[in-house]
Amino acid sequence: MNDGPVSTFQFLGLTFSTANVVSGLVVFLLVLAVVFFTSRHLAMKPTKGQNFLEWLIEFTNGILKGSIPSNEVSGFGLYGFTLFLFLFLSNQLGLFIQLAMPNGATVVRSPTSDPIVTLTFSLMTLMIAQFSGVQKLGYKKHFANYLKPFVVWLPISIFEEFTNFLTLGLRIFGVIFSGEMLLKLIWGLATSHGLVTMIVAIPIEMVWQGFSAFLGAIQAFVFVTLSSVYISQKLEVEE
Amino acid sequence: MLSHLVVGSSLYFGDSLFYAICFILLLWVVKVLAWKPVTKMMQDRADKISNDIDSAEKSRSDAASLVEKRQAALNASRGEAQTIVQDAKTNGQQQRDQIVAQAQTDAQTLKTNAQKDIDQEREDALAGARNDVADLSIEIASKIIQRELNADDQKALIDSYIEGLGKHHES
Repeated sequence: MNDGPVSTFQFLGLTFSTANVVSGLVVFLLVLAVVFFTSRHLAMKPTKGQNFLEWLIEFTNGILKGSIPSNEVSGFGLYGFTLFLFLFLSNQLGLFIQLAMPNGATVVRSPTSDPIVTLTFSLMTLMIAQFSGVQKLGYKKHFANYLKPFVVWLPISIFEEFTNFLTLGLRIFGVIFSGEMLLKLIWGLATSHGLVTMIVAIPIEMVWQGFSAFLGAIQAFVFVTLSSVYISQKLEVEE
Repeated sequence: MLSHLVVGSSLYFGDSLFYAICFILLLWVVKVLAWKPVTKMMQDRADKISNDIDSAEKSRSDAASLVEKRQAALNASRGEAQTIVQDAKTNGQQQRDQIVAQAQTDAQTLKTNAQKDIDQEREDALAGARNDVADLSIEIASKIIQRELNADDQKALIDSYIEGLGKHHES
């Protein structure tokens, strides 16, 4: 959330937001921990952790198979899996942990409640789409797709790439950002008039937290689904 | 540019770079740590299951053909056993008949021989007795009449006498 004072630091001439870097690192470590602890002692007969990991892999592969032809899915399975796990944990992180420095600047929150993070992943998806399109069809056929169905369609095709980039990134940002914003507002209400408002607000807070957790899962799913759609569009020659 | 589009707060492109690099690193670590071994394990399992299904199908058909063979062998041996029993019965019957026939013949022979012997002995006894009586009576007669009778005449006389006795007895 960017409504308070923002803590930043400079490194190699670039400006970094402390909140993004810290909470990003937290999520990266969480993803690593989940993957690490569920992949110990792999066996032909899966146990608890392996079952969960395999279920998750099947799930993300299933999302990809929804739009990408099944003989091409294996190339994007790892991306879809890691992206889903990362976005899901990012969306949930801010709902349960919000840390701020004494001056009010947030340090730990959902990384996905900052548009720069979501747009980074959106850009990454579109770059993968372009790259795999060129890899599969070759430059000529790939860029010929921009001229279809008519040559004059070119500006619209280019504009479409840009809107894809924005909508993919901003959709998830909007949902997570507003979820956290409302949590903060409800908490503000709870602490405004002592015990009375506290009793009223805490159930609302809990309900909204649960709903946001649901939305966070949905948004991670939607992001991966749309990513696979954008990638699959670049893998085939338009008629 | 984007900062004015979104919420009015500033966006730091350093973050973007940080996330991109970290995510690529994460992809690599996840691939090495979990993705490769787990997907390999899943593939292995899929292969194993399909192999198991194939081999189960094969052993099922093997078992079916084995059952068929066993059934055929059982039927054959049952028929054989029946034949053996039948043969044994026939043989037994034959042997019994033979033995009985043999015994009957033997008994008949024995009986005939015995009859013959008895007849012979009676004949001999009669002849002996006749001779003895003839000799005795000659002796007696010679002693009585003090003269030597012709033995053959005497014998004929006694024969006729004994015959008369036999007829007298039989009547």
